Formats: sequence, structure tokens, C-alpha cells
Amino acid sequence: MPPALLAQDAGATRAERRAERRAARQAEREARREAKAERERERLLQVFVAEPFLELRTGPGRGYPVAQVVARDESVDVLYRRTDYFRVRTERGIEGWASARDMQKTLLADGSAFTLDLGDRAGFQTHRWELGALVGDFDGANLVSTFGAFSLNDNLKIELGGSQYLGEQRNGYMIDVGVVHVFAPEWRLSPYVTIGGGLFRVDEDAQRPNLVDRTDESAYIGAGARFYLTRRFFLRGEYKERVIFTSRNDNEELREWKVGLAFFF
Amino acid sequence: MESRTRVLLLTRAVSVAALSGLLLSGCAALRWPWWGERSGPAGDVTGAAQDEYQEEADAPPRVIDPEVERREIKRPKIDTENWELGAYYGWLTVEDFGTNPAYGIKAAYHVTEDFFFEANVGRTRLGLTSFELLNPGADPLNLGNERRLTYYSLSFGYNFLPGEVFLGRNLAMNSAFYVMGGVGSTKFAQEQKFTLSFGAGYRVLPTDWLAVHIDVQDRVFESDIFGTNKVTNNLEARLGVTVFF
Repeated sequence: MPPALLAQDAGATRAERRAERRAARQAEREARREAKAERERERLLQVFVAEPFLELRTGPGRGYPVAQVVARDESVDVLYRRTDYFRVRTERGIEGWASARDMQKTLLADGSAFTLDLGDRAGFQTHRWELGALVGDFDGANLVSTFGAFSLNDNLKIELGGSQYLGEQRNGYMIDVGVVHVFAPEWRLSPYVTIGGGLFRVDEDAQRPNLVDRTDESAYIGAGARFYLTRRFFLRGEYKERVIFTSRNDNEELREWKVGLAFFF
Repeated sequence: MESRTRVLLLTRAVSVAALSGLLLSGCAALRWPWWGERSGPAGDVTGAAQDEYQEEADAPPRVIDPEVERREIKRPKIDTENWELGAYYGWLTVEDFGTNPAYGIKAAYHVTEDFFFEANVGRTRLGLTSFELLNPGADPLNLGNERRLTYYSLSFGYNFLPGEVFLGRNLAMNSAFYVMGGVGSTKFAQEQKFTLSFGAGYRVLPTDWLAVHIDVQDRVFESDIFGTNKVTNNLEARLGVTVFF
């Protein structure tokens, strides 16, 4: 055999071997991907379409176009949820967004209805978490405040709050832990009372520029009302009487009122 | 007299018992639907089979154990991706102190498809005032090296124009134009100012979990740093990247 041909042959086999290796790697990758998809499928919730069809949109919003429909009795895997839309994957691997209202009409594998938590009046009465921001007045100073609350039951909540007050004379921070009792959570406008305490910090004080002990304990009692707006939102307004246990001889008594917007989830 | 009555009652009792026995046996021959299908020969039967059949008929109806196990549905928790966390970089103009690079972090919670809450904390360095520029070395405000400005704001946002953008033939990305307003504070030159903020921005999502923002904010606060009280508008333009989780 001429040497040129031999070299060519060797080259061909090398290329072949390379192609083989590439194919093997490809197969391995494919298998791994398959296994991963299988594991994922086991982790995901599967729901069955019970209405004539389920519409899948291109985005999580009412205005996004419907790009796919899933027919009755077919299933989708629920990947995740964003606000009131669910990212789902069909049996054919197509992904899209289904609205919570449509998803409510689907069934689980055992035939029972797929129940989910929708932001509505019922949710306003019974929910676990709340977050919100409020503004107001703290004895003449501007007050910016946030809070997070956890519901122990429909009436009782534990609340963690942080506020900053910014006044002409002084400014600083407050951190509080309190308990809130809502009298009639089923009412749209429901009053509540609150009691709690925390730390009161002074950053700057024009009247006492050389303040040494800048952090004191404080306690408060207050009353307010919550008003359900729509979806997951409610308004909140409250009045508090606060006592600062200063390291000086006199305790300070300060008035605080604020209003704000909050949501539950 | 008494014995006659007793006989009468007894005969009555016997006749009733006989009649009911007859009736009951007759009833037993019937196939009530609630008794179910009974197996057994119906036509010509041998004596043994007849006996067996009889025994079976006398025994209480067999209870069949249904071998259907109730399928247990394990309902996996659905991952909610309403939180958005990220960082931004841009320019903040502070009135009288020039325009300087600013950076910060922000977190948002999307409550509905339309509304969201956002908190952000940012920082910049103050530039030189015109007085400091004209008089090198002068420090009338006693700032020294304390030229840092820190702010935060808590805002409420509205996705004003949700939509999609198209890049070429094969790529569509969700987007939204949003407006926001909020409250917060600004700290610089050893003073803290109550701050109102207003802004608008544009968000594009290359994937479902990644968002790129371009937004402009106006931070409004009252400043008396130069002796007289005045309301200042401080504009900030920034580019940010956030992830949903």
C-alpha cells in the first residue's frame, strides 16, 4: 500500500474514533438529562385539565397572548408560580403560563380539585403573612415604617416592625415586637388593638448634642383599623402611645400615628 | 274457659309461625337484587350439588374485599417566585454636589401581576460644590472625608405597560414599563432627610428568572445645608440586574 493511502486510512480511523467518542458523550449527556427530567417530574405537581381546554399564555399577565391550549384529560406539570400565574409544562414539553383562575378548575391525579390560595376577601380573613409600609408623624417628626406580621390565628398576629423618624430636632430608629388583636377579621373594615415594645435609638438630638446613652427601651399600646382594598392589598392606619424608658430621670411619652399600604400572602 | 283461651292462642301462634315460615322460605327462593348473583347450578342438579347449593344459600352472603387501594397523592409544594433581588449601578445628581456614580441593592415583592413593593438602599460620593472648586482646599461645610451619601426608599410600583419585545425572528422577551413612588431617607453631611421618591423604569426579562432594568428616580428632600431651606430634586439614572426567586 502506498504510504499516502496508509496515512489517509489512519486519519479516517482517528476521525471515526473521535466521532464515536463524541457520540458516546452525547448519549451520556442525553441519559443524564433524561434522568434529571424524570427526577424533576417526580418532584412536580401534576394536574389534569377538566375543562374543555386550558389556555397557556406567553407571559404571567392577562394581556399576554394565548400561544398553546391543553385539551381536556391531558396533564400539565406545575413548575412554579408567579403572583396569580403558574408556569406549567405540557406532556409534550411545551411551557407556558396558566392563570390561577383557570388552574382552579383542574384536577389532581386522585380526581380531587386542585385548591389554591387566591388573593381575595377570604384570604384577607385567613392568611399567614403580612408585609407593609407606612408613613406618619412621630411627635412632630416624619416617620417611615415597615412591618411584617405572622398570623397565629385569624385574630391574633405577632408583628415585627422597624421605623425611622426624621425630625427638625432629632432623628433615629425604632425596632419593635408586638402583638396585634384584630376584632372582626371578616369585616372589610376591621379594628384592632396592639401592644408591644422594643428599642428606641437616637442618632442626632439638637437639644442634647452630647447624648451618651443613645439606645433606650420603649413600650407602646395602640389602636387602629385595617381596610381591605382588593386582591392582596389592604390599608392600615393606627395610633400609638409610646413610652421611652430613658436613662435620664424622666421617661418620655410620645404620640405616633401612621397610615400605609400592606399586603398579605 | 281458661284452657280454651290458651289453646286458641296457641293454635293462633302455631299457624302464624307456620305461615311466616312458608312465606320466608318462599322469599328465600327469590333473587332480590341486593343479594347479588348466586353461583350454583340452576337446571338439572345432582343431590350432592343440591345440598351444597342449599348450604351456600343458608350461609350469610359472602363479603368481597375490594382490592382497590386508594391512591395516595403526595402534593408537592409549588415554588412561588414573587421575590426579586438584585443590584444596580448608575449616576446620581445631588443638587450643588454634581453628578457621581451610585450603586445599590434592591428587593421587590410582586403582589399581583400589576403591583409590586420595592425597597432599595444605595450609596454615592458627593462631588465638589462650586465654592470648593473655585477655592481649592476650602471646606466650608466641614465635610472632610465624609463625602458619602446613603439613601433608602420603600416604594410601591405599578407595571404600567406590560408587553413583549422581539429581538430578531426567534427571540421574544417579556417586558414592562413601570412607575413607582415611595418614601425613605437620605443621609449626607451628618444629616438625615426625609425623602420622597418618584420614578419610572423599564424591565426586560431575557429568561423567566432574570430581569434587566433601566430606571430613573427623582429623590426629593428639603435641605438647609447652605443656610436656607430649599426643596431639592436629585435625579438618579441606573442600570440594574435582578433575579426572581
